[in-house]
Amino acid sequence: MIDIQGVSKSFPGVKALDDVSFTIEAGQVHGLVGENGAGKSTLIKILSGIHTEYSGTISIEGRPIRFASVHDAQKQGVATIFQELTIVPELSVAENIFLGREPVKLGGLINWQEMRERSVEALSFLDVPLSPKTIVGTLSIANQQIVEISKSLVLNSKIIIMDEPTSSLTEHEVKQLFLLIGRLREKGITILYVSHKLEEIFEICDTVSVFRDGKHVGTKKKTETDRDDIVKMMVGRSLQMLYPERTGKRQDLLLSVKGLTREGEFEDVTFDLYGGEIIGFAGLIGAGRTEMAKTLFGTVPFDSGEIILHGSKKLRFRHPSEALATGVAYLSEDRKGEGLMLQLTIKENMAVSILKKIAPRFFVKNKMEREIINSYAEQFKVKMVSMDQVVESLSGGNQQKVIITRLLMTESQVFIFDEPTRGIDVGAKYEIYKIMNDLTMNGKGIIFISSELPEVLGISDRIFCMREGKLVKVFDNAEADPEKIMHVLTGGEVA
Amino acid sequence: MSTAYQPDLQKNNLKQYFQFRELPILLYIIVIIIIFSTMIDGFFTVKSFENISRQITTIGIVSVGMTLVILTGGIDLSVGAILSFAINIGGQGIVLGWPIWLVYTVMLALGVLLGFINGFLITRVAVPALIITLGTMNIYRGITMVITDGIYITGIPSSFQTVGYGFIPLVFFVIVLAFFIFMTLQTRFGRNLFAIGEGGQSALYSGVPVNKYKIISYVLSGFLSALAGIILVGKSGFIQPQAGMGYEMSAIAAVVIGGTSIFGGSGSILGTFLGSVFMGIIIAGLTMLAINPFWIGFVTGVLIIFAIALDSLRQRRKG
Repeated sequence: MIDIQGVSKSFPGVKALDDVSFTIEAGQVHGLVGENGAGKSTLIKILSGIHTEYSGTISIEGRPIRFASVHDAQKQGVATIFQELTIVPELSVAENIFLGREPVKLGGLINWQEMRERSVEALSFLDVPLSPKTIVGTLSIANQQIVEISKSLVLNSKIIIMDEPTSSLTEHEVKQLFLLIGRLREKGITILYVSHKLEEIFEICDTVSVFRDGKHVGTKKKTETDRDDIVKMMVGRSLQMLYPERTGKRQDLLLSVKGLTREGEFEDVTFDLYGGEIIGFAGLIGAGRTEMAKTLFGTVPFDSGEIILHGSKKLRFRHPSEALATGVAYLSEDRKGEGLMLQLTIKENMAVSILKKIAPRFFVKNKMEREIINSYAEQFKVKMVSMDQVVESLSGGNQQKVIITRLLMTESQVFIFDEPTRGIDVGAKYEIYKIMNDLTMNGKGIIFISSELPEVLGISDRIFCMREGKLVKVFDNAEADPEKIMHVLTGGEVA
Repeated sequence: MSTAYQPDLQKNNLKQYFQFRELPILLYIIVIIIIFSTMIDGFFTVKSFENISRQITTIGIVSVGMTLVILTGGIDLSVGAILSFAINIGGQGIVLGWPIWLVYTVMLALGVLLGFINGFLITRVAVPALIITLGTMNIYRGITMVITDGIYITGIPSSFQTVGYGFIPLVFFVIVLAFFIFMTLQTRFGRNLFAIGEGGQSALYSGVPVNKYKIISYVLSGFLSALAGIILVGKSGFIQPQAGMGYEMSAIAAVVIGGTSIFGGSGSILGTFLGSVFMGIIIAGLTMLAINPFWIGFVTGVLIIFAIALDSLRQRRKG
């Protein structure tokens, strides 16, 4: 039995886990569900020994524990199968299973025979026909995962945590995995199963715990709940007060996307964006929304389909500079990697996309640059001491505003905001929603990608649901509700 | 929440030209001058400073180009090879009796061409600049040796030595410095250079023509290497196929000692100037102390590692 009492964990600007208390019964498969950012991964990282700084207590079998490292957690019986597998592809199955704790003979030589025998033992318990001599890199993802599970068996783990284990498996492989999980349960091993696919949770778990906004919402036995109930727990929250009133009015057609396809990423995406409109794109991670957005911006090419601006102009950008010059701006979900130049100043970061304007004949017009930046910074309440301050020293919300200001200065017509509020506090979120609304008042169109359903519902006029690269359903804001959308996103029937 | 927003209109140009980053190296220079002056008679004289200034100009001009490349997050190991290629191949024109302006134009054009080849390969082939320019360094040197057959060009007309008289090399260096200090701090080119080095993908997503500016930086590096070669010919009065040997290391040393980050995105031309002054003083001091010249390579190596270690500490503290 794992008892979690009052566990909290904060990151700069965000409370990732807020006073979480619940119990995981021994010998069960316990599901952990919640939207992206609900706190599931933070909890797993604490339980697996990655995050060592947190408040509250965790005890296993009544004994309080506090892991110092992943290695420490493994020694004490908690093994984690991460989404990103930790196998070494060049080594054999047996070498991977015993990596870092190879059995040795007298004199320090590796006891290959024991290693092979015990590997065979673990693999035959799982009933998988794998040879311990096979090189792991040649195996399928599913079999590599089995190698990781064998690793935890050899460690005599009492608790195995699986983080989205089916995300790269085929349907058949998922069935195999579930059989295997059943065998582990029979052996008395407790399994913490993290997933956002509700069918899987209901198929394999005995108990489900729901997380939302870093809080534990509830724990229910599978027999006492149903899909709708869980979805309600995942998304239910008051939408008032968190979002500004939508005052932009729908105007002329701005952007038409027809049958846009990129092999393996998204397929046949068709939609219209009008001036004065915010259209939300809801979906789970891997639904293809970001790839689609990058195609519109020109950083990722597309295979077929059309992008038409103002009803006539066909677009196929080869470089972001073309997109920005034409009036299509993109805010990346990856603020540090594809947004900020952290060691440069606020001024340099903001002006980088309008260098042609502030330096029309090669030389930077310093006065003009400062005036433009000052007026924008004032209008959008960027909190800074000076524009010569290094961007890295700003809070997450203000960093995000620096990039948004950069995009606004380009005076584009179409704005694509990809997860604009990720990792920033509630107050700054509100200000970003407000900037979005103000943009639509000036006739701009916004494509808003977010994995947080409440904000998609809170600010979008229409909501497009993407699943596995396809647009599966469109809701008008009036007819949409979180349960309906979550139902569509998690693979429910589309009515 | 941080301090509320205040309008910020006054210019800080002076501060901009002399960032805090260059202060330590300025102090090192003063310290090293004091040390050598007490140890060596005749070190603190106009004559010895003229010598130092003549010594640092060629590598100094190469270092300015190297700074531009390193600011974008790249590196150019082929600078010495380009220098040699430009003056040796261009120098064939002297043998053929071409006019001086034509010879100089050909030399500079060769520098531009070889720099362009570097930049083109680096932006098209997914191989690090370090490897590409290591390759082109050997290719350029190889071609030079084959064409010249290892033979010196001597008997050069005295007009070619004008650029090498007295303080004239220093004048060239100062003009190059002033031009590129201005370029990096006050132009679109400079802004893009810093954005590319610091941002990588961020610069691309901001609409910066990343590849174009990378190529330009290698072209400028090639051009400045050829210019340094022309001055070298002026100073020495002959052309040898081994010219510019080891310049890449001396230039990298001047750049990183001058406070430019080897990881790109931060640094300055002014810092590189101070870095080359520092290197020049050390080498002159060691020579005047009659220390075995082979120790100079040793000292350069130690200084490079020391400067990069400092930089990487600074990066880690920030990251």
